[in-house]
Amino acid sequence: MTDPIVSAMVFYALAAFTLVAAGFVALSGNIVHSAFALFATLFGVAGLYAYLSADLLAVVQMLVYVGGISVLVLFAVMLTSGLDGPLTSNPTFRLGGGIVLMLAVAAAAFVAATAVPSGVESAAVPTTAAIGDALLGAYVLPFEVVSVVLLAALVGAVTLARGYKGGHR
Amino acid sequence: MLTNLLAIGPELVLTLTVVLVLIADLVIGDRPARRGSLAVLSFAGLAAAAATFFLLPDGGPAAFGGLVSGDGLGVFFRGLFLVAAFFGVAFGALSDEIPVERFGEYAAMLLATTLGMSFLVQSQNLLMILLSLELVSLPSYVLAGFRRGDSRSSEAALKYVLYGAAASGLMLYGFSLLYGMAGTLDLSAIGPALNAKAAGGSVGIRAGIALAALLSLAGFGYKVAAVPFHQWCPDVYEGAPTPVTAFLSVGPKAAGVAALIRFVVIGFGASVATPPAGGLPWPVLLGVLAMATMTLGNLAAIPQDNVKRLLAYSSIAHAGYLLMGIAVGTPDAVQAVAVYLPIYLLMNLGAFLAVMAVRAKTGSETIADYRGLVARSPALSIALAIFLFSLTGLPPLAGFIGKFYLFAAVVKAGTPFFYVLAIVGVLNSVVSLFYYARLVKAMFLEASPDGAPAVLVPVPVGLLLAILAIPTLVLGLWWSPLADLAARAAGIVG
Repeated sequence: MTDPIVSAMVFYALAAFTLVAAGFVALSGNIVHSAFALFATLFGVAGLYAYLSADLLAVVQMLVYVGGISVLVLFAVMLTSGLDGPLTSNPTFRLGGGIVLMLAVAAAAFVAATAVPSGVESAAVPTTAAIGDALLGAYVLPFEVVSVVLLAALVGAVTLARGYKGGHR
Repeated sequence: MLTNLLAIGPELVLTLTVVLVLIADLVIGDRPARRGSLAVLSFAGLAAAAATFFLLPDGGPAAFGGLVSGDGLGVFFRGLFLVAAFFGVAFGALSDEIPVERFGEYAAMLLATTLGMSFLVQSQNLLMILLSLELVSLPSYVLAGFRRGDSRSSEAALKYVLYGAAASGLMLYGFSLLYGMAGTLDLSAIGPALNAKAAGGSVGIRAGIALAALLSLAGFGYKVAAVPFHQWCPDVYEGAPTPVTAFLSVGPKAAGVAALIRFVVIGFGASVATPPAGGLPWPVLLGVLAMATMTLGNLAAIPQDNVKRLLAYSSIAHAGYLLMGIAVGTPDAVQAVAVYLPIYLLMNLGAFLAVMAVRAKTGSETIADYRGLVARSPALSIALAIFLFSLTGLPPLAGFIGKFYLFAAVVKAGTPFFYVLAIVGVLNSVVSLFYYARLVKAMFLEASPDGAPAVLVPVPVGLLLAILAIPTLVLGLWWSPLADLAARAAGIVG
């Protein structure tokens, strides 16, 4: 069991980091800056996962979202033609609607958070081993079916995307 | 361990076949026998999958810790899907709408869809239901868009994807709510858990269960093309290549129906004979959906000029008839649905095969081009007329037997609501006669337009037509073997 004050400080630091970065994503006028800020936001979310002792989720978040998706987003931003230029972003920013929406979400979150009794903070227990056991034990069939789904999706995507005018292959 | 593997033997063989077809597609290259050899390989895979049915563990125990069920319902539909896949591959091999150099991909995608359907009907767990539904959907999208360069086919694929993604999202949300309230993904445990919650629960809990159930229903409703999730159906059926339309109209629809039976009847334990499951009046809810679906399908089919579009609306109407059976939910009704679907498979595949044969010669799918077809191709016209009258449900054809079992089950439910439902169903059958007969009248009673080409049916197509038409005739007179199989599927007899 950690000191509750230290624990709270870690949480607020992580949350503040994530929120500031997310605000940057939404508010920055430069789309490349937004993309880099998204990188930081996802990193902060990974930190929150780790804080909640979801260690596998944190690592997956780092590998897939921070490592993979962000780079993909950057590529998409930089390679997309038809943008007026890298400095165009969020041209339709509206303050009033945004604030109303934010307050509504905050109110909903408050209701949801207060409806559930706050639990006692428990010691962090690693989850990776248990998830691994579940994936290759009780849930091995869905795990393998996912691989077939991905194979079908991959072959299907290639089928649809391959050039077709120039004859066979 | 071995029991688990044997329990999904057909699916293992199908997976292997998908991979083998893809590899063979690469190895064979441009040889002239390409289409034939890939088709034979697919047929061999399907036959091997059928052979593994004899290795299924006795008594149908649940496998993989209850993720999949080995019950009769699953076995019956898995067999049916192998038949559907056989015709799907054969139609594709005979159609000029599937280019020869892409036939391997067509067969692989079709077999992957079949694999998904096969997993779907035995899924006893929300996670497995979701995954196998995706495995049905993803290759179906690709198949619908198979005619690249054809804007209608691309439009069909895009609409299919967008509707499918939305429906999957809604269903996933419903499943997550169900999991949150029941605390389990296991279908056999969800029903009792929700019943317990609803019995002592507040209005909020009941509303939550209703919301979760309705959202989950969206995913199944989309697969069977039930109102109000049917809008994609006419455009996809019209735009997709005809062999694909034929397969989509029977395969995924039957899988959706079977999964819905498992979800509602086995999961929630809903039927007219039991109290409302999870606080929801399932029979009335599904009954209203059935009425809306068949009425809209039949009325919208009347003004159609494109035969594929007409058959699309007709397939929506048939989804409505099937929903009646699920609404009743008794073993008798499940048996009726299991009798209806193989018959529906025969007559619908037959109708689409005839459309495919006409299209191959005339390049057209409009009713106007069917005028005087009897003079140009008597056998084809007679076969198509058999399929259409069977779809209407006229005796002595198989469609009549299917409808008879369904309506009997509905009437046996014995409440005023189900009497009304049965009357609506009968009235709908009368309406459907109008548009089916319109096509028959064009073929038999009207004169051919000038210069209309003769429609010579190639021998393999004629053979397939006969394979589909003869059971449509015979099952109308001698249906007890099918009824026995269906009874076993419904768990009436061991």
